[in-house]
Amino acid sequence: MSWLLPLTVFLPWLGAGIVLAAGRAARLRTVLAVTFAAADAVLAILLIPLASSRAGFSLTIGGAFGELSLLPDGFGVFLAAVAAVIGGLAVVFSVDYMRGEEGQGRYYALVLFFIGAMVGLVLSSNLLMVVVFWEITALCSWALISFHNDDPKAVAGGIKALIVTGLGGVGLLAGSLAIYAQDGSFDIPTFMARANSFPPQLLALIGFGFLAAAAAKSAQFPFQTWLPDAMEAPTPISALIHAATMVNAGVYLLARFFPAFNPVPGWSLSVVAVGVVSAFIAATMAAVANDLKRVLAWSTVSQLGFMVYAIGTGAIFQSQFHLLSHSVFKALLFLGAGAVIHSLGTRDMRSMGGLSRKMPLTCAVFVVGALALAGIPPVNGFWSKEMVLESGLQHGPFWAYVVMLVTVGLTALYTLRCVWMVFFAPAEDRHAHEAGPAMKAALIPLAIGSLVTWMLAGPFKDLLLRTLPLHFPGSPGEGSGLAATWAIAAEVLTAPSTWLALGVVAVGAALWAARAPFTKLGGGLRPVRRVAEAGYGFEAINRGIVKAVQETGEGLRVTQSGLLNWNVAAIVMAVIVVLCAVWLVGGQGG
Amino acid sequence: MSVWPHWVWMIALPIVTSPFVYLLGRLFQRARDASELHRARTPWRANPVRWVSLAIMLVSCVPFAAAWRDLAAGETLKLTVGIIALKFDGISLLLSAAVLALGVLVSLFSGPYIGHESGQEKYHALLNAMIGAMLGLGCAADLFNLWVWFETAAIASYMLVAYHSDRPASLEAGMKYLVQNSVGSMLVLIGIGLVFSQTGILNLAELRIAVAAGTASRPLLLAAGTLFCVGFGVKIAMVPMHTWLPDAHSQAPSGISAMLSGVVIETGLVALLRSLSVIANITSAWGAILLGFGAVNMIVGNLLALRQTQVKRLLAFSSLTHVGYMLLGLGFAVSFGQAAGAQGGVFHLLTHAAMKGLAFLAAGSLLFALRLSHGDSGPLETADLAGAARRYPVTAFALTIALLGLGGLPPLGGFMSKWQIFAAGVQAGSPVAIVLVIFAVLNSLLSLGYYAPLVSMLYRTTPSQVVIAGARVPVGMTVPLVLLAVVVVAFGVWPALANGLTVPAGSVVMALFSRQGGM
Repeated sequence: MSWLLPLTVFLPWLGAGIVLAAGRAARLRTVLAVTFAAADAVLAILLIPLASSRAGFSLTIGGAFGELSLLPDGFGVFLAAVAAVIGGLAVVFSVDYMRGEEGQGRYYALVLFFIGAMVGLVLSSNLLMVVVFWEITALCSWALISFHNDDPKAVAGGIKALIVTGLGGVGLLAGSLAIYAQDGSFDIPTFMARANSFPPQLLALIGFGFLAAAAAKSAQFPFQTWLPDAMEAPTPISALIHAATMVNAGVYLLARFFPAFNPVPGWSLSVVAVGVVSAFIAATMAAVANDLKRVLAWSTVSQLGFMVYAIGTGAIFQSQFHLLSHSVFKALLFLGAGAVIHSLGTRDMRSMGGLSRKMPLTCAVFVVGALALAGIPPVNGFWSKEMVLESGLQHGPFWAYVVMLVTVGLTALYTLRCVWMVFFAPAEDRHAHEAGPAMKAALIPLAIGSLVTWMLAGPFKDLLLRTLPLHFPGSPGEGSGLAATWAIAAEVLTAPSTWLALGVVAVGAALWAARAPFTKLGGGLRPVRRVAEAGYGFEAINRGIVKAVQETGEGLRVTQSGLLNWNVAAIVMAVIVVLCAVWLVGGQGG
Repeated sequence: MSVWPHWVWMIALPIVTSPFVYLLGRLFQRARDASELHRARTPWRANPVRWVSLAIMLVSCVPFAAAWRDLAAGETLKLTVGIIALKFDGISLLLSAAVLALGVLVSLFSGPYIGHESGQEKYHALLNAMIGAMLGLGCAADLFNLWVWFETAAIASYMLVAYHSDRPASLEAGMKYLVQNSVGSMLVLIGIGLVFSQTGILNLAELRIAVAAGTASRPLLLAAGTLFCVGFGVKIAMVPMHTWLPDAHSQAPSGISAMLSGVVIETGLVALLRSLSVIANITSAWGAILLGFGAVNMIVGNLLALRQTQVKRLLAFSSLTHVGYMLLGLGFAVSFGQAAGAQGGVFHLLTHAAMKGLAFLAAGSLLFALRLSHGDSGPLETADLAGAARRYPVTAFALTIALLGLGGLPPLGGFMSKWQIFAAGVQAGSPVAIVLVIFAVLNSLLSLGYYAPLVSMLYRTTPSQVVIAGARVPVGMTVPLVLLAVVVVAFGVWPALANGLTVPAGSVVMALFSRQGGM
């Protein structure tokens, strides 16, 4: 079985190369892309029963490069399956969405390249490999965001994503190297076992470095500015990379390294704070956005905030379960939005409306996704969100729980607003065609998934308990299968926090539905709205940094004077400077 | 013939044959000119000088391979003629590998690139001579020898930079390069003089022992070391001695730009290491100097490249940054005794030679197809690259691989060599080293700010005017691109491939700067 692991990682890469080689043969390219993506989805699902807590594959490179080792534990096989399956569905959706566009070979090759890298990222048990795959996903994300290279907004969005996630990536890189310097090895299980023997300051630095990397990748505070601009990407990419897979990498990183960094004072509290702040401010920005994809982007940031919050309170299983639900329903929402955008040609919700009759299937699946996002039973989002909240109430700070509860209400508000504006608001008659067959083929399984994935709670919990002894000490016990799921479901239904949350959801929805009397109040809140729309000043900070760097570069141009005398004078001055430096540094000894 | 060891032929062959290469090319050209006087139109035939020079380069690889085999088997490869000493060790191995590989590919590339220009026989002859001189420098084991090879390579490169002597910009670039490099060479010569005046010895190995004996005046030796740093630093393009580089690299024919950025700079680095090693024992400052220059080079190179709109100038400034990474790696090795730093620094030498060589050759292919083949001698602007990927898919993909590799993105070679350097820095444990590593990583990220837009430009759907009117790229230029791209990807996917070159070179560097005598 050990060959199955590298095959799942590298088969899509092989597919990418073959798709590129197919050149201009459009039909062949599409068939190849779908075949490879589907094959990888099958392989990833096949990995699940083979999950274990021991490394399945290992290839030594040596020296400062460690080894390529793949470990199929609970986190790994679960996220690999999510990445591969949703990747496959996104590829199928793209068959209709990207029809007739230029550069499809490049598109499909990059998507396949990404899927392989994502699978490799979550299955790697070697820090160098984690960094390599992490950066490759960033590369693919950049290339796909700026896919329409002629559009300056897309190019700018791509570079912003690359740089902002890269800034966080510094933390991952430095932390990984620090672990290597201390441990002499890049092996993750080795580090996890010996983490408590690290010097406390070093461990804290590594822990916060990893937190920065995770926050940047998952578009959490203070790195949240790149995700809405990444919406310039074709919508299947937004669904795959920026909702269901790559942005989960940060959550995955925090979950995997949680036992090592939890003892660091202030670390879990920082994680909670990052999650809570992100969830709240993103929800407010989703409530004022008019671009359909921006609403969904901010809602992704917000839901990721829930997952990060859950990890901060120690609820690893709950966070991963919400990750599963979110991947499915957010991909569903994005692909549904893609169908709408493809049909209407615009992303502005103010020019939408009345689509419930023209695009009934799209409307139906979108509503299912919206119910999941808002957290209404029996859709999967309800169960996972309630579990996060419940655990947060029990183990986390109370102020965090209150803010999250308010965020739940806000989520219901902006979700209802979005659904209303797109599908149900009265609008003049305009042409809109229903989603094509390939789009439907991707949407329907996701809708079904949103309705049923919560039933996997029991087997999923068992998988995690079985393969991750460090994260879940103690024996599985409760048994696997649907019986465990019913037990978990019963627990959720009888918890008081569930009913409290449902109440808040109802309040949030009601606030939107009955908003007419509140418009005066809304007028008073206009300055707040403007601040929210401007991203709470973070966009200004980004622009300021870019401007400062460019102006410094521009200012340095005087050094390239073109005057030979000055150039030679610089050489002579360098002699003097170096001479002084040598005297100062060298001192008298040797 | 049997008096000389076989590896010396690697150096001798390109140099000794270069006048004959020139003669051959000249004779062919004269014959063509004469026949054109008699007949109105003679069909154009390629000057065979390009094949002859390529063949000589390929033949020179044979003694190199033999030397590699012998070195790996543990033999000592030395030759001493009077006071001239040559030695083939790990550093020579790595430098020769880079010079020969890039030299062969540039030779192949240059055939069609300057194939329609007059004076191409000079180009090929000088290219061979420059390569031979660099190979000699790699093997130099005494200071005099080192300086002579250094000057020879420099003189050949001055003429190659100013090859397009009908263009004022080329002449200006060549002139500035000549003057500044001569200043640098003069400083080195004064430094050598200082060392000689104190010890009376020029042989590197013997010098180390003599200096360690402690009878020489320490201040004078420190002054000599300073002069070596700055003198060779001009060639290595350390800031602030770098000002010749953007002009020279952008005005030179693209094959020469590739050589300059790819190996000539690195040759200067090797020369610096060899000469500094003599006085390594007397102070710990050299490591700090290397680290300081490395840090400054990285940020200045990045900031200056950020605002460039000419492709070759952008690539030239980015060479400053990559020299910075190499200096950082070597600085970690010298200051903190980190062997991984030495290996990483020389590994980056290899990957940079491959990536920057690839970038310049790809940019050169586009420059040729879009401008030169129409007689337009203007520079290649970033706006010219718009939509180039549709007409020139292979060239654009090769340029993409080069640019993303230079930006340090996996799975390409640049990431792996930078990783090794950063690992060395963190392993050193000192706070200064860790701050430098984080600074270097941030610089790597900043560099993406100018590489990524170039790649985006390539893959636009609306092509620029010059792309629409562009000519074909000859096969002779595409083959080196493909080969270099494969090398860049191979180093990125399996960095251990370079171990055969980087480990010996790294251990030589460590031995050169170890605080005991020896070497």
